[in-house]
Amino acid sequence: MNQFHFHRILSSSSGRLLAVLLALWTLTAAVEAGAADRLVVYSGRAERLIKPVLDAFQAKTGIQVDLLSSGATELVNRLQAEGDRTQADLLITNDAGSLERARELGLLLPLDLKEVERGVPAPFRAVDNSWIGLSGRFWILVYNRRQVKPGEITSILELGDPNWKGKVAIPNAGSEYLQAGVSVIKAVYGDERTERFLQGLKANAGTSVFGKSSQIVEAVAKGEAAVGLVNHYYVYRHLAAHPDAPIALLMLDQQDGGMGAIMNVAGVGVAKHSRHRAAAKRLVEFLASQDGQKLFADLNKEYPLHPDVAADPALPKRDSFRAAAVPLAKLGELREPAMNLIERAGLR
Amino acid sequence: MGVAVRQSFPSSLSVIAVAVAGLICLPVLLVTYLALSTDRSVWGRLWITRIPELLANTGSLALSVAAGTFLLGVSLAWLVVRYDFPGRRTWEWALALPLAMPTYVLAYVYSYLLGSGGPFPLFPPHSFAGVTLVMTLDTFPFVYLLTRAALLNFNVSFEEVARVCGTSRVRVWLRVTLPLLRPAIVAGLSLVILYVVSDFGAVSLLRYQTFTYAVYQQVTGRYDHAAASILSLLLVLSALIFLLAERWFRQRSRFYQTTGRYRASQRKRCRLLGTILVTGYLALVLGVSFGAPAWLLLRWSVGAVAEGALDSRFLGFVWNSVLLSGLAATAAVVIGTPLAYLATRWPSRLNQLCFQAAYVGYVLPGPVGALALLLLFSHLAPFWYGTALVLIIAYIVHFLPAGLQTMEPALQQVTPNLEEASRSLGFGTLRTLWRVTLPLVRGGFVAAWVLMFLQCMKELPATLLLRPVGFDTLAVRVWLEASEEYYQLAAPSALLIVVMTLPALLLLVSKDWRAA
Repeated sequence: MNQFHFHRILSSSSGRLLAVLLALWTLTAAVEAGAADRLVVYSGRAERLIKPVLDAFQAKTGIQVDLLSSGATELVNRLQAEGDRTQADLLITNDAGSLERARELGLLLPLDLKEVERGVPAPFRAVDNSWIGLSGRFWILVYNRRQVKPGEITSILELGDPNWKGKVAIPNAGSEYLQAGVSVIKAVYGDERTERFLQGLKANAGTSVFGKSSQIVEAVAKGEAAVGLVNHYYVYRHLAAHPDAPIALLMLDQQDGGMGAIMNVAGVGVAKHSRHRAAAKRLVEFLASQDGQKLFADLNKEYPLHPDVAADPALPKRDSFRAAAVPLAKLGELREPAMNLIERAGLR
Repeated sequence: MGVAVRQSFPSSLSVIAVAVAGLICLPVLLVTYLALSTDRSVWGRLWITRIPELLANTGSLALSVAAGTFLLGVSLAWLVVRYDFPGRRTWEWALALPLAMPTYVLAYVYSYLLGSGGPFPLFPPHSFAGVTLVMTLDTFPFVYLLTRAALLNFNVSFEEVARVCGTSRVRVWLRVTLPLLRPAIVAGLSLVILYVVSDFGAVSLLRYQTFTYAVYQQVTGRYDHAAASILSLLLVLSALIFLLAERWFRQRSRFYQTTGRYRASQRKRCRLLGTILVTGYLALVLGVSFGAPAWLLLRWSVGAVAEGALDSRFLGFVWNSVLLSGLAATAAVVIGTPLAYLATRWPSRLNQLCFQAAYVGYVLPGPVGALALLLLFSHLAPFWYGTALVLIIAYIVHFLPAGLQTMEPALQQVTPNLEEASRSLGFGTLRTLWRVTLPLVRGGFVAAWVLMFLQCMKELPATLLLRPVGFDTLAVRVWLEASEEYYQLAAPSALLIVVMTLPALLLLVSKDWRAA
């Protein structure tokens, strides 16, 4: 009798399990079928820098947006593996290299949007508009004003010289900024010079290798390192929290004949296998519009790409410095070789 | 013996068992294949740039954590078994508490405590010393529990003989006590080493390059998985070699204590000073490994809750964790049953092999298992790719061994006579299993389920790599928030994981409680 009782419980619980399984199934299937007013965004941009913009879009259009936040490379791999079954409608990353990579793999949809083309200058878009840049960011030198004078350094390559030993804080090898930066240096100076620079950089940084740019800025502010390589907005983020911090930023390689500052863009593309192309295009249009770009860029003190949209007044004027002349679209093909250079130099 | 019913070979179960074992081994074979079919130049690149460093890092970390856990575990076990002082029994079980702290939780607490803005910036947390400290504090209970159990069964006559022969106390300890405890200590240390080699949480948050972390970085940072699969293969091989070596060593060092004249040792009563010293030492160890971190988590959680962290989103993460873990644990018990049943009842070579195959998960650290499944599904069954199913399978592969270890003894204890009686009365194999065997082993199976459920709740690397859209779990949230250094935001999820793990841990500890 006891056994019989147990048997009943088991069968009922297996019934319940079946129900849960079915629920799970419908859950995954529901996304398959895709309600018309719902978009899935794969985002390599930090959640808090993208969610407010998507919320604004949702409030304006009523289209619900779901986020999957992860690393950009991981998301491109995922898009590729999921193929035509992907739930993703859009890919947003902080790095033109990974967007271009996704384009080369045939994961993005070429767009024909006149409005967007007017809002984003051609150098900041893919050839076929399958990805659209939204905001510009520069890889700059942050320095401690008590330890370094602005005239002491002009080119990024000098950071590999022995006189900077023990004074440089750098991001670790997994950083997209470092990878994109090294791609640009490689394109301008070639493999051998780049490798020498990286070996010098590794020796100079020692243990000052950080996983987060905010930690680099912090180390420089404390004087643990004299200079650091970060994207420009991290400096402002730190100054907003610590107005008295003795730090400033420097645009490198601005001398005559110099390479120019290393630039990258955050951008968006529509997934080729998106089931909601119309809604996805609306989101791209929203992001690339003047209001969208302002909102997107200001959340993180980046430079809007639209010529008529002003950047945050705290930033150096965009016409006061030059960007390196390496086309953003080249960052895709340069990525793997740049990563190999970084790995070979022993950076981690 | 009952020849008539003895070998009606349960073919239906066998088919299931072989299929399951095959499925579990398939991912490993796929990774091996990919690694071996990778271009020579990639191998060359890795040999030059990564492998020596990773071997050195992983090896030195395993050794230093083993040394640390040896000192802590053995000294603590010795104190609570050989001495008597107020509160001893409470300390005895409390020292297992650190096992409830997942490594990534301890790592994130310590990256705050030791960090440059934290209260104790003694040395940087993102360093060899930092990782060693965190891993040691997290795993010493393995050595402590096993050594304590061995000490409780220790025949003190050996020591007395040595003392009578005029050997000094220290020499007795080194020449008699320690060698007799060796099997237990070695078992504890090998658990610790396997744990260190396969850990992802601590090394990723503290950015220390071990094989496991390197595999994860290659999977997430590269557009092809060739390098990741090569590193995975090396990692699996080194874990296998270590396991086999350990097993061989254990078989060589077998010895038996005669039980005829068994005498347990007398506990020495501590005087006041002794009590203060002993209690101080225990409090210090437990404080840094569990007390202080738990208190910090609690304080942060209160702050986070006050700011409204317990919103519907948070409940969603809880639900995701419970749903995934529940499904995985249930599926693992269902899958494990035929394997364990056949291995105990019909220990033919094939059945033994299937059972052993299920243990593959032991040498598959999280990122490796996830990589294997990524490859498997994207190549063979893209239709399922990116669904919760892949993640559930990853959990099963990973935690089935732990479940089987609990399920097998439970089945061993059921006499085959009952089943034979049932079959002679006309029930088939499956029906006998369902109506006779399973009700008898309910306790062990429930324990196995709970164990696997909790392991799944804590699981981090595979969840990070395989989670479907909008399916973050508590563990993933802790890791994401902690790696952004939002310590307060990460706290409620971390605290919930710890609190959920506690009852099961105490249950496990109380099992060898009876020995005391």
